[in-house]
Amino acid sequence: MATTSMKMTSMPKRGKQGFTRRALLPYMYLVPAFAVMAVITFYPLIFQVIISFTDFQTKDLLKQLASPNLHQIGLKNYIDIITGGLPVQNFEFFRVLTYNFWWAITNVAVHVPAGILIAVALNTQGLWFKRIYRAIYVLPVVVPPLVVATVWRNIFNEQYGAMNQFLTWVVHLFGSTQVIHLRWLEEYTPPIPWLLPNGPLPLAYYAMMIANFWLGWPFMTLVATGALQSIPKDLYEAASIDGASSPQQFWNITVPLIRPAMVPAAIYGFTLSFNLFNFVYFMTGGGPARSTEILVTFAYDLVRNLRLYGVAAAFAVIVFFVALVVFLITNRITRATESYAEA
Amino acid sequence: MASVTYDNVTKKFGDAVAVDNLNIHVDDKEFLVLVGPSGCGKTTALRCLAGLEEISDGRILIGDRVVNDVAPKDRDIAMVFQSYALYPHLSVYDNMAFGLKLRKVNKDVIKKRVEEAADILGITDLLNRKPRQLSGGQRQRVAVGRAIVREPKVFLFDEPLSNLDAKLRVQMRAEISKLHQRLETTFIYVTHDQTEAMTMATRIAVINKGKLQQLDTPQNLYDSPANLFVAGFIGSPAMNFFPAKLRKDNGRLIVDTGDFIVPIPADRSKVYASHTDKSVIFAIRPENIHDAAFLPPNIHAEKVEAKVDVTELMGNEIFLYLLSGKNTFVARVDPRSQLRVGNQTQVAFDMDKFHIFDAETEQAIR
Ligand SMILES: Nc1ncnc2c1ncn2[C@@H]1O[C@H](COP(=O)(O)OP(=O)(O)OP(=O)(O)O)[C@@H](O)[C@H]1O
Ligand SMILES: [Mg+2]
Repeated sequence: MATTSMKMTSMPKRGKQGFTRRALLPYMYLVPAFAVMAVITFYPLIFQVIISFTDFQTKDLLKQLASPNLHQIGLKNYIDIITGGLPVQNFEFFRVLTYNFWWAITNVAVHVPAGILIAVALNTQGLWFKRIYRAIYVLPVVVPPLVVATVWRNIFNEQYGAMNQFLTWVVHLFGSTQVIHLRWLEEYTPPIPWLLPNGPLPLAYYAMMIANFWLGWPFMTLVATGALQSIPKDLYEAASIDGASSPQQFWNITVPLIRPAMVPAAIYGFTLSFNLFNFVYFMTGGGPARSTEILVTFAYDLVRNLRLYGVAAAFAVIVFFVALVVFLITNRITRATESYAEA
Repeated sequence: MASVTYDNVTKKFGDAVAVDNLNIHVDDKEFLVLVGPSGCGKTTALRCLAGLEEISDGRILIGDRVVNDVAPKDRDIAMVFQSYALYPHLSVYDNMAFGLKLRKVNKDVIKKRVEEAADILGITDLLNRKPRQLSGGQRQRVAVGRAIVREPKVFLFDEPLSNLDAKLRVQMRAEISKLHQRLETTFIYVTHDQTEAMTMATRIAVINKGKLQQLDTPQNLYDSPANLFVAGFIGSPAMNFFPAKLRKDNGRLIVDTGDFIVPIPADRSKVYASHTDKSVIFAIRPENIHDAAFLPPNIHAEKVEAKVDVTELMGNEIFLYLLSGKNTFVARVDPRSQLRVGNQTQVAFDMDKFHIFDAETEQAIR
């Protein structure tokens, strides 16, 4: 809007009336959109902020803000969330927040390099059936996460899941007769301490990383393939004459030139994983013992099962600010990675 | 510094033959230009030498070494691409230093060489810029600079001037020639522009349909083209061709085009006697056809009837497009010429400067 009005003022002088009418016109076009947004976005937002300062519960649902039992409790909800004063088991705000960031970062850290490597491999000249691979790897992108979560839940099932069957088959190859019965999604402690670090991360985390990898890499490969194909072939030829080996070409040409495409994709992947509600909710429901809980699944739990509306509202406000900070940081990163495209 | 040899080199893409049994020897410090029409295989020949294409048959030597199986980076060459192929994410300095860094050259040496090259090319002010912040001409210089700093044995250029405007092209042409004199290295330069070839080369290889047509100095190519293709390709406007028959007439050998007849001077008729009564192509360059009113002194002129179809006034000369029966041809005449469109006139052929080609083999009869 600033640019529009600036353009207006820089225009040759006209009658005052004409000027104001022209300056107002763009705003008038926006009025209907604002009206709709006010009803469906701003009103609920403000309502939520208001009840976040109250002890709003099921009993207040009927009369809402007019309810006689509703009390203004100031910042108590916020303080309770952050200091762990909620009547909720196994919940510490900062642990969930840390896990949420860790979950998103590790996912991206795996998906992006894997996506690039697969894209480079598929981009090899003279590879057979290229188109078929491309059709196949787009598949996970279009399957609903709910379906994916259900399928992977079954794969990780203790009794009849494919993962345990596969591991049983593998150990049989090594001569053992053991039948593997890992409780992937329920067990807290990973079975082989030296392979998967014990500690804050439950076995379910690794199971979810595997499942979400299946969900996540194709998108990165899709973006990387597009970026790879836009790199002129003669850059590689020039580099090979300049003395660059294949790995050197990868690090000196491929990586810097797909970076402008991959950074926004990585940020998109990060926000997606950060708020990957349906996948987490249907895979583990945040369990065991809230160890794979992320902010959005917990917020949902507060409303759906615990019915703490006031607390949930406060929690949502906090999540909003977390998201805002994430957005500001990522936005800055994106803008810092300008494209090298020729002018 | 090294010589370059194409020894029976053939390059096929599937069934298509892009380079057909090419034999060229380029001497050390020579400026060889590969010239030919679009799609004739010049770029392919150059890329084979660079190692970017594997050859299907034959041998390529740099110096005394057969490089068929040598990787591009080990051939000790540098190449300037038509697209320049500058690394878009690197500054001009880093673009030029890239090859040296990979070869682990000492940092101070890199700095010295890059600055020297930048100085030669006049791009010292641009060293910190990114390629996208440069004009076409500046990018071209950076691409040349990237080749210079490597101090290779052989420089390869693939139509480096084709993306520049006409004026800059003339200027860069001179600069590349100067660079060649200064560096005293073998240059191999690809272009489809015969003017570029004529002005820069020590020798020119004319290529058509993957085959070498003639390899000689610019002047020799111009004065005695080996075949019809070279005759038509070198020189602008192009040489005039007249399908004709050689006949004996009263003991003299004559060229009969069906529309006009010119006698062959006695001192040259011996060469052509063997082709008497055969189909030939009579050929003469536009500058060897004169307005009969402004004949240079001491030439052996033969007059031919023609009608002026189009005139192009160039200031220092006039191009006349002439009609004689079914033949059309061009003359570059004296600017004082009064001939105008529609005039029926006589033009004079300089009979010391014509060529005759066998109509069947298209080879020059010499
Ligand atoms: N990678 C390739 N695959 C198949 N055919 C090719 C390939 N590269 C070149 N050709 C063919 O080989 C022939 C020679 O191509 P080349 O690029 O060498 O021509 P050129 O003389 O450089 O032409 P121009 O002046 O247009 O650049 C052309 O017919 C072209 O279609
Ligand atoms: Mg070419």
